[in-house]
Amino acid sequence: MKRQGTTAFLGAVILLSVVVPSRPRTLPGPEPQSSQPSVLVVSVRDLGGSSRVTLSSTVPLPYSFEKRTGALQVTFETPLAFRVRQAAFAGGFVRSVGWSQGRGSYAFTIELASESFSFKPSIREDPFELSIDLGPAPAEAPKPVAAPAPDAPAASGRETPAAPGPGPLPGDQPTRFKTIVIDPGHGGIETGAKGKFGALEKDITLAIGLKLRAIIEKNLAFRVFMTRDKDMDVSLENRSALANNHKADLFISIHANGSPRKNSHGSETYFLSQNATDEESRRLAYLENSSGDLEGRIEGDGRDDIKLILWDLAQASYLKQSSQLAESIQSGLNALLGTANRGVKQAPFKVLTGAACPAVLVETAFISNPEEEKELGTEAFQDSVAQAVYLSLVEYLKLYP
Amino acid sequence: MTKKRKKNPKVLLLAALAVIFVVLVVVYFSGGGGEKIRHETEPSGPGGLSADGEAPTTRTITLFFLSEDDDLLHAEKREVPAGRSVAEDVETAVGELLKGSSGDLVSPFPPETKVRQVFLDEDGTAFVDFSREFAENAAFGASSEMAAVYAVVNTVAVNLKSVKRVSILIEGGERETLGGHIDLSRPLLPQYSLVAK
Repeated sequence: MKRQGTTAFLGAVILLSVVVPSRPRTLPGPEPQSSQPSVLVVSVRDLGGSSRVTLSSTVPLPYSFEKRTGALQVTFETPLAFRVRQAAFAGGFVRSVGWSQGRGSYAFTIELASESFSFKPSIREDPFELSIDLGPAPAEAPKPVAAPAPDAPAASGRETPAAPGPGPLPGDQPTRFKTIVIDPGHGGIETGAKGKFGALEKDITLAIGLKLRAIIEKNLAFRVFMTRDKDMDVSLENRSALANNHKADLFISIHANGSPRKNSHGSETYFLSQNATDEESRRLAYLENSSGDLEGRIEGDGRDDIKLILWDLAQASYLKQSSQLAESIQSGLNALLGTANRGVKQAPFKVLTGAACPAVLVETAFISNPEEEKELGTEAFQDSVAQAVYLSLVEYLKLYP
Repeated sequence: MTKKRKKNPKVLLLAALAVIFVVLVVVYFSGGGGEKIRHETEPSGPGGLSADGEAPTTRTITLFFLSEDDDLLHAEKREVPAGRSVAEDVETAVGELLKGSSGDLVSPFPPETKVRQVFLDEDGTAFVDFSREFAENAAFGASSEMAAVYAVVNTVAVNLKSVKRVSILIEGGERETLGGHIDLSRPLLPQYSLVAK
């Protein structure tokens, strides 16, 4: 098991080192000649039936388009490093805007509400601003926006409102809202890590969690639940129980890191390590079953050992998806935050063990590092974290729509 | 007169019976007590038996701490008195760990933390019971919590081959986590991937 864990860890490291390091660090001001950081701002406006995507930058950029089914890709060829920031997002015809960075280029993928569409770019120099109007293809009569299926339970969930939200999902598959649980770490008397200047992990995780909820609700057809939306104690067991009770599709725990070393810095994303793949759980491996079945089997408080092991197995069956979500979030953080890349890691985090869905824990930055503590307290940084996680989520959803 | 005569043998008989009873009681309890004492002394015999029969007086152990250079665990060797049992060796190792580095490595433990007791089960799990300070006197972040937990687990496992897993207890009881991160509800396996090469 240890060897397996190490291999997985090494694998993740190798994967990351292949994917990530070729990337220039998107720190503010990697260009010594300009005092201002180069920023690429993306905004999306709903024009009623059509949408306008605006990409603006402090420097002019050569661009090219590639039209695909249901998506438009805009590529900027530039050796410069940018920080990408999403300013406003009112979806309409545009479902999402994702982006990726290649060698000397930035590619933005604009996902649209229908497979065929038309687009009309317009350009403004100084400051550079590329606006693209996107709407349904002229031949195709604008489809009535299919109302999202009303089967989603209307209970206490904060459903994304249908009207200003994204259009219908591609294809004719029945719309089912995905459910995401955002878990702001710690809370109440459990403050989490503390900064030198007095910042508390629990406050920062809550601020970021609320921002993430706002972005997701605005842009994705998701039901979003928070394990806490104010400063309060919530046991770790209840956090994953909340996810399971709402049949969550994804669980994202937000944290700020702390270390006895002042120098520790950077961002990392965790998913569960399989400590439980020990003899005792192997003995009970016959109990393994499909996780879908699990929810029906485990009810009430799961305190006894078999239930605990079943919980582990539940999470075990999602390890691959959890690792992919973690990879996606980590690259998102690397791109948007300008923090050091500490990579994707595995650890036996209590809050991840119980969730019967892909689950990750994001360590945004170190509150124990005075510089990062200051960053963590700013709206801008918190916005960037929320944005990075959101964009990563969009990327991840391409793998598991 | 006759009354007296009749009474006397009865009294004597009763007295004799009473004496026999008292003697029996005393013998019974002193015998039991003797057995109890033997029981108490016995376990320390096999428990304290050192593998090679002759107890060496000291042994060199490896302790894990953080370093200022990176976020990995770094080994530090130390000479300690050899214990008479595995549990004793575990207690010594963890005690030394809690004292901190004798070099310039960084301790991830709250300074007031103490080991309360150590015991082992037959399956190779060492239960290390810490004072409440371990969980309560630190505001753990994920990194510091992992460092603290795995400094203990790795230190115990690396020095004592018979220990396969380590379970961390606080004030004699199970605890969910130290500070909201690492699951302590079950024994942990050592993680040598966290150790600097």
